[in-house]
Amino acid sequence: MAGFHKQLLFLFLVLLPMAFSLAYSRAEGKVQPEITVRVTPDSVLVGDRIRCTITVHHSEQEVAALELFNSHDTLADYPFELISRKRLSSFPLSVAGKQAFELEFAVFGNGHQSLPPFMVTLRDINGRITKKIPCTSSASVFVRALTDSSMRDLRPLKPPLKPSIPFLLIIAVIVGVFGVAGIVLLLLFLLKRTVRHSAERVDSGQVAQRKLRKLGSSLSAGMPPHECYEELSNIMRTFLENHYRIRALEAVTQEIERDLKKLGVAGFESIMNLLKQADLVKFADSRPDVEESRQSLHKASEVIRSTRDTKGDGSIPGRLKTD
Amino acid sequence: MQQAVELEELGVQIQEASRFLEKAGEQLSRRIIGQHEVIRRIFIAMLVNGHILLEGVPGLAKTLIIRTFAAAMNLKFQRIQFTPDMLPADLIGTMIYNPKDMEFYPRKGPVFANVILADEINRSPAKVQSALLEAMQEHQVTIGNQTFPLQEPFMVLATQNPIEHEGTYILPEAQVDRFMMKIIVDYPSYDEELEIMLQSATTASELPIRPVVQPHDISRARTLIDRIYVDPRVQRYIVDLVVATRKPAQYGMANLETMIEYGASPRASIFLLLAAKAHAFLQHRAYITPEDVKAIAYDTLRHRIRPGYEAEADNIKPDDIIRQILQHVQVP
Repeated sequence: MAGFHKQLLFLFLVLLPMAFSLAYSRAEGKVQPEITVRVTPDSVLVGDRIRCTITVHHSEQEVAALELFNSHDTLADYPFELISRKRLSSFPLSVAGKQAFELEFAVFGNGHQSLPPFMVTLRDINGRITKKIPCTSSASVFVRALTDSSMRDLRPLKPPLKPSIPFLLIIAVIVGVFGVAGIVLLLLFLLKRTVRHSAERVDSGQVAQRKLRKLGSSLSAGMPPHECYEELSNIMRTFLENHYRIRALEAVTQEIERDLKKLGVAGFESIMNLLKQADLVKFADSRPDVEESRQSLHKASEVIRSTRDTKGDGSIPGRLKTD
Repeated sequence: MQQAVELEELGVQIQEASRFLEKAGEQLSRRIIGQHEVIRRIFIAMLVNGHILLEGVPGLAKTLIIRTFAAAMNLKFQRIQFTPDMLPADLIGTMIYNPKDMEFYPRKGPVFANVILADEINRSPAKVQSALLEAMQEHQVTIGNQTFPLQEPFMVLATQNPIEHEGTYILPEAQVDRFMMKIIVDYPSYDEELEIMLQSATTASELPIRPVVQPHDISRARTLIDRIYVDPRVQRYIVDLVVATRKPAQYGMANLETMIEYGASPRASIFLLLAAKAHAFLQHRAYITPEDVKAIAYDTLRHRIRPGYEAEADNIKPDDIIRQILQHVQVP
């Protein structure tokens, strides 16, 4: 019995300091931090939002802070998008050693998704970090895929992926390619036009002379003079149109007269006389004889030759020299 | 050769017969400054029995031109101001009951004159416009059961304001088509305006106009105009221009296909030829050239072409369409 009492005394002596130590540490407020995580709701559609409440129990001399979840990089590997976060600080005084954080996430992916890890930092009253507690929560949320029947609301979208090549560079390249193509086409067009016009200008006189010679032959072969004048009018108009670049085929004699006067064309009087004579034959039923027609052809040939001769002196084709 | 000699003789006769127009022109220039093209077109219409629709903002001497024209031509002039409450009887006349012999007698309206100025024709409703239409087309008026022929020459010059459309009755296409020409009266030039101001800013009465034309002058001119030679090429050119307003794609103007809702009627070809003849007469010519046709093409065609929706959206006017047609249809 005495042995039993001794053992009991020994146990008492051992436990007493421990009890004192525990009581002392509690009196100093040194409590082991405790972290709880609560997620609501636990099942959502893809794109829906969840509310995550993290509560930290700690000693009264410490302040808790939640780290991570601050940037997208942290969450890059997880199908969560942080929408908002706030600290709930309206606890009564009796629970001063308790901090709560409320986080709102948009959830993507499919099936069971575990919350991403986070870190709780405890600081003393001087702001020094006393402890960093990495936490991996066992809380998870079940994400259901969208189906047609469940699509009732617009869902928040994932932020667009950054392209690997800068967007401005792509635009600049496209604009550059189109610009170069446009310049090449414009140059080709201008070149073609210049070549065509110069060819026309060179040939218009020759072509007209050739047609006049052919017309003279037809007249000798028995062509009626009035038909000869009609053809002569056409040859002259075509020549004027190609040589002076005026609208002569769709213009009446008065309009041609106005245009040629404006250009100050050499042989103006002769050209107008020929056209007016042709008009008389065409519209006033005038019937010239063969000799008259031959003279007109000769005059036309001279007019065309004179305009071509004046071209060689570097001035505008056929324009009168005004010293 | 015989034909050429005849035309030469006709040319001499025309030169002689058209002198009265020069005299009338001199009288008109005593009161009217500028507006030479408008006056020229009024002469053309008068020579070939046509009617004119004048469009221009107020104050451009439209009424003065017509009044002076009538005075110089020694023609009876009547001005009718069209109003919304007007009735056909106010225009053509009506049957008046005479209690003495208990019978109805016709009382002729103001339409019984040589030159009618239908001022602001679009202010009257359709029935009044139609009454005038009958007079314009038939040169006769029916009051009760009696038909009265109108005096010759009979010419209607109607005016309308292009900027004020509130409370107006737009002239139906059928009526507009009966006008030979639609003339746009434009503002005078700076110098003309200066001259107008100096001449008109006076308390003195207007310069008197002497009648210089005898009725037989006009009838003789009309006889000569009918003899003016029209070459088949020019005939085809006129028809080409009119058909091009209906089927522009056939003449290489596919872009106009959607711009024109409907083109000119055959009446346009008739009036275009008549007006071209009168234009040649004014030039003392016994034959028509394409120049005569081009000179009056705008005035004869502009009210006969209806621009489509696309043209209206692009603010393309009938004159723009006519310009393109004249530039594309090959001159003979």
